[in-house]
Amino acid sequence: MARYDYVEKAVKVSRREFLGIVGVAGAILWTGAYVATDLVHDRNKYIKMRAQGIYKDDKKSKVRQSHNNQAVTDMYKKFAHNPLSHLAEELFHTKYVNRTRLV
Amino acid sequence: MSHHDEHSPRVLKHPLISRLFHWGLIFGFLPAALTGFFIWLKPFGEDLQNLIMQIHIVGACILTISCILYTIFGLDRIVAFVRRIFTWDKRDTAWMLVFGGYPQKMLLGKTIPVPPMGKMNSGQKQMGIMMLFGGIILIVTGWSLYAFLPVAPKAVMYWFDMLHLVIGIFLGLCLFAHIFLGVYNWGEFLCMFGDGTQPLHEAEHHNPVWVANEIEPVKGDQTVRPGSQQAG
Repeated sequence: MARYDYVEKAVKVSRREFLGIVGVAGAILWTGAYVATDLVHDRNKYIKMRAQGIYKDDKKSKVRQSHNNQAVTDMYKKFAHNPLSHLAEELFHTKYVNRTRLV
Repeated sequence: MSHHDEHSPRVLKHPLISRLFHWGLIFGFLPAALTGFFIWLKPFGEDLQNLIMQIHIVGACILTISCILYTIFGLDRIVAFVRRIFTWDKRDTAWMLVFGGYPQKMLLGKTIPVPPMGKMNSGQKQMGIMMLFGGIILIVTGWSLYAFLPVAPKAVMYWFDMLHLVIGIFLGLCLFAHIFLGVYNWGEFLCMFGDGTQPLHEAEHHNPVWVANEIEPVKGDQTVRPGSQQAG
């Protein structure tokens, strides 16, 4: 156990100071929680709207599957032979690029 | 510790809760600051950079938890700290005009008269103000960047990033100065990393106003060993 003969006098926190500390801490926490939940709420709202838009477009479309897309089918017939062909892979597949230094 | 120190009266300068918080800063703020410089400068390969970011985040967790626990369990210490760093008078101006006598002592080997200080000198008060506000900004912007980068407005995140970077660099450099001065003032170093006590004569030399006004003899004799003497 530490040996000492003198100690700092106790710090008295007045009611006014205590209420001030609690008030500031509460305001910071409340504002932070409000901003965070608002951001998440906004994000969810946009995701839902986007999903609804995609479903709406789907309903309007005559062709709803990508493999039945006439343009894609024509492209393979006239140009890239078949899906996963050597040429298709070369043209459509991306390559890994290290972008960590660009961020 | 000299024979003289063993029997001279001692004062508890840093209670256990403050020393534990200081360890929290060592294991939290120190690694976060060091890795922060590497995250900024990106001197290493991808794998090591990722590991450094993980260490940065773990350091941030330790720092944040330490601050929360210290606020809850050491509220009186925080109140005392805030009162001290915002209490300024003519002595502080005079102290700053001679830089506390440190350059004269370190560079010229001269000891010049310095205005008497409380528990914190004017330089420590400035550091305290910067650490209080800078630390809060670093924690808030850091966690915002960690958690809300994809969902928060881009402009807000840009300025949070800039604040985090600039304040981080500034406080990181202040940290090196703090470590240097902490080791230079060896008695204070032993006090913070030891049992928190300091010989009274040493405290009287560095913190005369504190010793004169803010300390009192320990009540009861459970912590006072026979042979210890109380100063007049």
